[in-house]
Amino acid sequence: MIAEETLVKELKSKDTQAHAFEVLVSTYKERLYWHIRRIVLNHDDADDVLQNTFIKVFRNIEGFKGDSKLFSWMYRIATNEALSFLKQKTKKLGISDVDYQEKMVENLQADVYFEGDDIQLKLQKAIATLPEKQKLVFNMKYFEDLKYEEISEILNISVGGLKASYHLAVKKLENYLTQD
Amino acid sequence: MKRKNLDKNPFSTPKGYFDNLEDNLMDKLSKETSRIPENTGFTVPPSYFDNFQSKLNAKIKKETEPKVIQLKSYKKFIGIAASIAALVLMAIGIDWNPKDGIEFTDLANSDIENYFENHDLNLSVDEIAEVIPVDGMEIYDFMDTPMNEENILDYLNENVEDLEELNIENNE
Repeated sequence: MIAEETLVKELKSKDTQAHAFEVLVSTYKERLYWHIRRIVLNHDDADDVLQNTFIKVFRNIEGFKGDSKLFSWMYRIATNEALSFLKQKTKKLGISDVDYQEKMVENLQADVYFEGDDIQLKLQKAIATLPEKQKLVFNMKYFEDLKYEEISEILNISVGGLKASYHLAVKKLENYLTQD
Repeated sequence: MKRKNLDKNPFSTPKGYFDNLEDNLMDKLSKETSRIPENTGFTVPPSYFDNFQSKLNAKIKKETEPKVIQLKSYKKFIGIAASIAALVLMAIGIDWNPKDGIEFTDLANSDIENYFENHDLNLSVDEIAEVIPVDGMEIYDFMDTPMNEENILDYLNENVEDLEELNIENNE
């Protein structure tokens, strides 16, 4: 795999930009897609947000100073894009975040790109009840297997705060899933 | 093991590996015994990831291409638009109900409420405290639903970076 510093350098140079961008997209598209998908739930929405994320990366790579890892920077953009997307949707529909999440989870039952069983559907219902931060931390730690240090760099939250959020989220989800 | 051998150890670990070993191990163990499923059940259309790059390139190309504006087709509307604009300007310019000016009492309460809801007034807590008497007010004068302990814990967890800063005494 191409070294991150080299990739950033190539992305900033007009001559090598196109090829470097292709490498960047092929390296990160799946990881970012699943990160976004777990936030927005629906495939078409995730596709839109993923495209917008890469377009934002492409347009703003000049301003990337390298203070954080390229991977963390892209994750941060993807997270912000996904959350803004949800906010726009709730504003447009005139409903609360919680109502929108419930509606999206209900729609999963008829979604052709959701093949989860009852317990997986129940898990999505449970995740929808979590506050935003706990939801993000849980998905990033449990499903994406990111390290606390990586999540800390992406979400700009202390490792201690993340651990507390994660354990609180797991406890709530376990409780929800053991209910009848 | 002899010290000599340790010095010659050619292996290394990622930075912070041993600091996080305990946490990672505990997380893995709890995951194995958890009732939470390890997969979400989400899928993607066939070849979605294979076709993503070309779809993205097409979108970037479309967005960077300058838009061509057909000026010709608007020509016939320019005259109509100019006439309407002139009429609107005349209507606004005529003072139908001459009055000295708008008084505060002319404003409907709903307008004032809307203004407060839609404008960020940047008032500090001290400024608000100066004009609103707090004697005799209860927390539920401001809230429709009562707070339960779980909501409070969630709020603190979401908004307070370091819970120790709150100096909460454990009275349990």
